[in-house]
Order: sequence, then C-alpha cells, then structure tokens
Amino acid sequence: MQRTAIAAPQWGRFVAHVGRWTLGAMRALGDIATWRSHLVPQMRRLGVDSIPIALFIAVFTGIVLALLSSYIFTGAIPLYFVGALVGKTIMMELGPVLTGMALAGRVGANIAAELGTMKVTEQVDALETLAYDPRSYLAVPRVLAATIMFPVVTAFAVAVGVVAGWITAVNLLDLSTQEFWKGLRQFYQFKDVWFGLLKSASFGAAIALMGCYKGLTALGGAQGVGAATTRAVVLGCESILVLDAFWALVLL
Amino acid sequence: MKRGNEFAVGASVLGALAVIIAGALWLSGADLRGEDRTYPARFRTVDGLQVGNPVTLRGVRVGKVTGIRLTSDDWVVADLTVESPDVELPEKPAVIASSASLFGGWAANIIPLEPLPVDPNVRALLLESDRAGGEAWPGATLPDIGQLTAQASRIAGDIAEVTTRIQGAFDSTALREFRQSVLDLAGISSRLVTFTQAQAARLDRVGADAEVTAGAFANVARNLDRTVARIDSATGQGQFTRILDNGSAASTDLREASADFRELMAALNGQQASLVRVMASMDTLLTRIHSGDGTLGMLATDSTLYRETTATMKQFRELLTDFQAHPRKYIKVSVF
Repeated sequence: MQRTAIAAPQWGRFVAHVGRWTLGAMRALGDIATWRSHLVPQMRRLGVDSIPIALFIAVFTGIVLALLSSYIFTGAIPLYFVGALVGKTIMMELGPVLTGMALAGRVGANIAAELGTMKVTEQVDALETLAYDPRSYLAVPRVLAATIMFPVVTAFAVAVGVVAGWITAVNLLDLSTQEFWKGLRQFYQFKDVWFGLLKSASFGAAIALMGCYKGLTALGGAQGVGAATTRAVVLGCESILVLDAFWALVLL
Repeated sequence: MKRGNEFAVGASVLGALAVIIAGALWLSGADLRGEDRTYPARFRTVDGLQVGNPVTLRGVRVGKVTGIRLTSDDWVVADLTVESPDVELPEKPAVIASSASLFGGWAANIIPLEPLPVDPNVRALLLESDRAGGEAWPGATLPDIGQLTAQASRIAGDIAEVTTRIQGAFDSTALREFRQSVLDLAGISSRLVTFTQAQAARLDRVGADAEVTAGAFANVARNLDRTVARIDSATGQGQFTRILDNGSAASTDLREASADFRELMAALNGQQASLVRVMASMDTLLTRIHSGDGTLGMLATDSTLYRETTATMKQFRELLTDFQAHPRKYIKVSVF
C-alpha cells in the first residue's frame, strides 16, 4: 500500500514529463525559422558522412550472407536461392538494422556527446538566455536530419550489400550471374524495399531522439557527458531492436 | 562550406532515390514502355499463386501476376499482365496455376484451351471455368507440390512396409519354392503357348468356315432379296390379289364340302344303326349255322350232302364221259 502511494506520484511525474516534452517538441517543430538553417549541415554530418561506414558494413554483410547461405543450401536447396536470401535479408533486415546499429554508435554518440557537452558547459543555458529554444535549435534539425538521411544511407548500403553478395557468389561460389539474379528477382516484392526504408527512417528518428534526450539531460561534468553518451548509444540500439520487432509485427 | 553541404546532401539523396527506383523497377521486371496487356483468368482457387508470380507461355516468362481478387459465385480472378508486346497468345487461351519449384514458387502457365489437357481434374476445372462465360480466361490449379510430396511420402511409406513384409516372408525355403514356382510357371507358359497355337489354328479354320458361312448367308440374303422382289413384283401386278381371291374361293368350297361331309356323317350315323341290326341278324344267323340249325346249318355241319354231292359230281363226270363217247346213245337226231 505504501509502495503504491509512493509509485503514484512517480508515474504522475513521468506522464507530466512526457507531456511537457511532447508539447515542447510540437512547438520546436513549428519554429521552422530556427531549425531550417541547421537541417542541411546536420544531414551532411549525420547522413552523408555516415555513408562510408555503412557501406563498409554492407560489403562484408553481403559477402558473409552469400557464403553462409551457400554453406547452408549446398546439397539441399538449389544455389540460386543464395540470390533470394541475400536480397531479401539485406533489403528487409540486415541492411536497415546493421546500418542503424552502426549509426547508433556514430550518430547517437555524436549527438549525445555534443549536446551533453553544451549542456554541462551551460551553452544550452546561454541559448535559452538568447531566447532560443534549445529543442528547436539543437534537437529538431538533428532528429529530422537523421530521419531523412537514414533511409538514404540504408539504400546505398542495401545496394552495395547485394552487389557484394553477387560478386562473392560469382567468384567464390559455383553460381552464375544469371542464377543469382534469378533467385533475387524470383522472390522480390516492392514491399521489401519500402519496408526496409521505413524501418531505417524510424531507426534514425529513435537514435537521434535518444541522443538529444540524453545529451540535453546530461548532468555533471565530463563524466556525466560520458554516461549520457553511453546511455544514448545503448538506448538507441535497444530502440532499433524494439522498433524492428514492432514493424515486423505490424507490417509482415 | 554551406554550398558544399547542400551539394553533398542533395547528391546523396538523389543517388539514393536513383538506386531505390532503378533497383525496384529492375527487380520487379517492370516495362516502362507501357505496352503491357492485362488479362483476367478465373479460378476456383489459386492456392499458392500470388501477386508477382511469373506468367509463362510454353515455359518462357512473358509477364507476371498483377492482381488477385475474390468475385461472386465463389470464383477467384487473377490479373495476368503480359509484358512482352510481341508475344503471340493462343487463339483461345487457358491458364494453369502450378507450383514452379519445390520451394513454394508458383507460376501461371498460359496454354491453349483446345486440345484440353489429359488430366481429368484439370480438364473438368477448365471446362467449368469456361462455362462460366465472360471475358476471363478459364483457369485451373494443379495440386500444391507439398500435397504431392505428402502423398508420395505416404506411398513411399507403404512401399517400405510392403518391402519389409516381403523381406520377412522370403526366407531360403520360400526362395526355393519361388524358384520352383517360376520353373512351373515356365512349363505352364510353354504348354500355354502350344495350346494357344493350336487354338489359333482352330480359330483360323473357324474363321474360314465363318467366311464360307457368311458367303452362304450372303447368297441366302440375295435369294431372299430376289424373293422379296418377286413378291413385291407379284403384289404390284395383282397376282397376289388373285391368289387371295382364289384362296377365298377355295375356302368357300371347303366350307361347302365340310357341310356336305357333315350331312354325310349324319347319314352314316343312320346307316350305322341299320348296320348294327344287320350285324346282329348275321350274328344270329351264324350262330344257328354254327349250331347246325336250318338248311345252312346242316350244310355247314353235316357231311352227307358233301359226300352225296361228290358222288353226284363223279356220276356226272362219268355221264359226261359216256356222253362224249356215245352221243347217239343219248341224242337222236332225225330230220324227218
């Protein structure tokens, strides 16, 4: 009874906190003049600059998938299914998720560290003093940039991953180009593409939100910034896995 | 720096869009020339056929399934899009949806409706769909490869069980008996061959006889034909009518003769009584003769008359002899 009495005010505070953040986000989104000029630089930093690491991961993912599926299928299933497995898996799952995981480390940590440092060095307070809404000035362009650019990065990663799988299949496996593309095209649906891109957009939004939230709520000095950064990466990765399961349940 | 950011972001976004659009179009095999032709096909059930599955003609991919929907009267209509503009379709096409691989892939195969497939189930499905009318092509669905595999698995299990039983039943004794049975069967077969050859020779003879009989039957038929022709001719010339008239007259005469015969029989009945009476009188007479009553009785029973008659005849012959020898003794002729 006593625990319930204690928990009730905590839940109430949490709900009020969520409401306050939501209303603040709505206001920040409406303050276009403040965040518009920062959107493109953030898209460059969070998206374009992340393409190399995403492609690096995608290349090796494609190679490993082709070899692994060949190892599984040989003797039991026609090898042209390697193309189907590589394409479907990279487009729908590994492309968005691995790219999201990589960018959770790079982008989420970057955002949390940057905003956390600004918070502990009172630059955020200075912005507020200058009548800038820190959410509008700092969080909205990052979240929007991540939401927009994650599908872009994922699209490149998927394309490179499939090409890497194809090159691996042709050069390292007993598989012709025609067979690989036959397997890839036989089971292709347009849903495979937009499903992966939609997931990656949600991953980008979640990672940036976690980074911004942890950064703007960082306390203390450098240690607090480090903790916020770590927590942002962990929460970003967890968000990716939860959202991945959510979209699979809803859309498949 | 600002312009550099914008360029990099714009290039990335446009590149990603290009990758997405080009990849999606290429993977889906879309034809941007817009010369696709879409035909509906009607099925009772499409089983594993799905949107995106290939449409084939004589084994060559010519398009894909672009839509599947339920319609009234428990039909399912699948839209088949033929992407190749140069494809010449059968004059009266039909569609068979079938499993394209062991791993779940399906395809819609375009075939000519005529001649109908040999499989009676497919034939019935196509005819039923065709009878429904409309512009939709008639369609049939072959059993899923999984069902066939399950059936084959059951059959394989049964065969394995039978094999096991046969293996258990065939020991060395059974094998010897089986060998002997085979030898016996060979002997029986040899005798059967001989018997068959003999029966074949007999059958040949029977055939020849049957041929002769058939010839005879043909002659009989010809004769009968001629007879019928004659009857027909006779009927035509009135001879038959005359024959009937003559028969009628003969029948009348016969009736009259019968009446006369009946009268004669009546007269005979009357004579019969008289004859009975005569016979009774004769019987009485013969009885009296037999008993020697009266003159006739005495003639029949008394030999005296016979003896005296015999003696008289003897004297008459002596007299006749004497008369021939001495006629003047008995006859005297005088003219004057």
